[in-house]
Amino acid sequence: MPLLEVDRVTMRFGGLLANDAVSFGVEPGQIVGLIGPNGAGKTTLFNCISGFLRPTSGHIRFAGQDVTGWPAERLVHAGLARTFQIVRTFTDMTVRENVMVGAFARTNSTAEARRIADELLAFTGLASRADVLGGNLTVAEKKRVELARALATQPRLLLLDEVMSGLTPAERGQAVDLIRAVRERGIAVVLVEHIMEVVMPVSDWVVVLSSGRKIAEGPPATVARDPDVIAAYLGERYRQRMQEEA
Amino acid sequence: MTAHNRRPLPKRSLVWLSVIVVALAAPLVFRSDTALNIGILLLLYATLAQAWNILGGLAGQISFGNAVFFGIGAYTSTVLLVRAGVSPWLGMLAGAALALVVALLVGFPMFRLGGHYFAIATIALGEIASTIVTNWDAVGGATGIVIPLVRDAQGQPSDSWRMLQFNQSRLPYYYLALVLLALTTLVTALILRSKLGYYLRAIRNDQQAARALGVAVLRYKLAAIALSAIFTAIAGTLYAQYLLYIDPETTMRLDLSVLAALIAILGGVGTVAGPLIGAAVMVPMSELTRAFLGGGGNAIDLLLYGGLIVLISLFEPQGLIGIGRRFRRSPRSQPVAVEPAPVSSSEEAH
Repeated sequence: MPLLEVDRVTMRFGGLLANDAVSFGVEPGQIVGLIGPNGAGKTTLFNCISGFLRPTSGHIRFAGQDVTGWPAERLVHAGLARTFQIVRTFTDMTVRENVMVGAFARTNSTAEARRIADELLAFTGLASRADVLGGNLTVAEKKRVELARALATQPRLLLLDEVMSGLTPAERGQAVDLIRAVRERGIAVVLVEHIMEVVMPVSDWVVVLSSGRKIAEGPPATVARDPDVIAAYLGERYRQRMQEEA
Repeated sequence: MTAHNRRPLPKRSLVWLSVIVVALAAPLVFRSDTALNIGILLLLYATLAQAWNILGGLAGQISFGNAVFFGIGAYTSTVLLVRAGVSPWLGMLAGAALALVVALLVGFPMFRLGGHYFAIATIALGEIASTIVTNWDAVGGATGIVIPLVRDAQGQPSDSWRMLQFNQSRLPYYYLALVLLALTTLVTALILRSKLGYYLRAIRNDQQAARALGVAVLRYKLAAIALSAIFTAIAGTLYAQYLLYIDPETTMRLDLSVLAALIAILGGVGTVAGPLIGAAVMVPMSELTRAFLGGGGNAIDLLLYGGLIVLISLFEPQGLIGIGRRFRRSPRSQPVAVEPAPVSSSEEAH
């Protein structure tokens, strides 16, 4: 049984259909890439899954429960955590305190929260920055704090919203290593990205959105050759030219 | 406590210890009525500011309506005392309980308002409450209520712990106010070290991020306003018993709500010591200017606060406590990126 089941989720804002009956599943321990050009509805879908938006119709099931419309804070306790595309570090709290807030989802003890936080700071390579204020970090460090914080809630599924954007190629490599290390802890990951190249090598399964609809899904190698995906990314004329050349 | 936390502790406890000793000894050194009056007001306003700090400082929910809770405390105990002869100690508990209920009832809808709208709603709340009390004859209306003096067998004004009234010397009021301030400060310090404190600070920083980490934002904001209301109401009862007279003008006016906020902001928002420092600077300043400049000087003290607030917001938004911190070298305030982040993180995982 899949850990997460997105079942014909539709999200409508007035006249705009942001997600149109999108379905896909995530197995335990799997890394799923959710890709699509800008404006494809990835972040909207993400907000529906993570409890920041209530879908207009459709269902979301997590760990065997129908969690459609559950608020984010309740989903966290069920084991579903997320990060934000634009980092939302608590700027006047230290890095350790940022992560402790996440840890308090699982404990009421400050000492225990601190222990969990320190373990995750070591895991994310932030141990030396533990006492620095969140506002004084580089973008790459802030993204790590987001990740460490979300991991501190001890999720079974982690939704990462464009963790790679704004990173240098070297930093992206480190981020990919980190995502693989997260999976080795038995945590399933959904990666939202519009940059195809960073998602393909790390994902077990890729779901492609375009104009709010799912246009393809499958293993990365298959999806990369899909003519509809190529058209969505590179334009219809490019696809025709490819076909003519073939 | 880890070793990391232990080192700076003795110095800090020494500072707190000396503050307590000074506070205990001050009225024995400065014995004039004026000095004692300033001392009592200082402690009461510091309590108001500290209670405001739980809601406005830690949780970042700026309230300009805390005088409502102060008024509820003052009016509940006084009405119970004058109408039914209930001891103000019980009245104090009843006032705190009523303030708690009102805080939850108004907090529930008002916390749905974001940012500045919450602050505006609290001003409206304060105006509504003071209008109701001013026009409610059963609680004295605009003229207020006088608390009758406790008298001994000879008919002379006397002291009574049971009736929370001290007419021989006002010293007990000072120590009661000191106990209340110490309690409010202790609770604030405990909150800051607990899950509640971390959650309130997270809410102040970014509510959406807090939700994404499992924080039930509304529930924790309600906890903050409830605690703020309880301590403010207790201070209200003490204030009523100290002045032995209450009216809507002195216990529920907007200035009082604003003053609570200003003192905390002046001293340093969201810190344990900030409201105490703010009160220690602002209350004597305001009382002394009023004393020297007479009745006509009523606006001069307001002018001074105004000027101070402008200076603080321009140059040191962290308040007076922030100025103090500048003189200490703290690793937190040092420039960033002194050392690069470790290169490979996945290696550390294994």
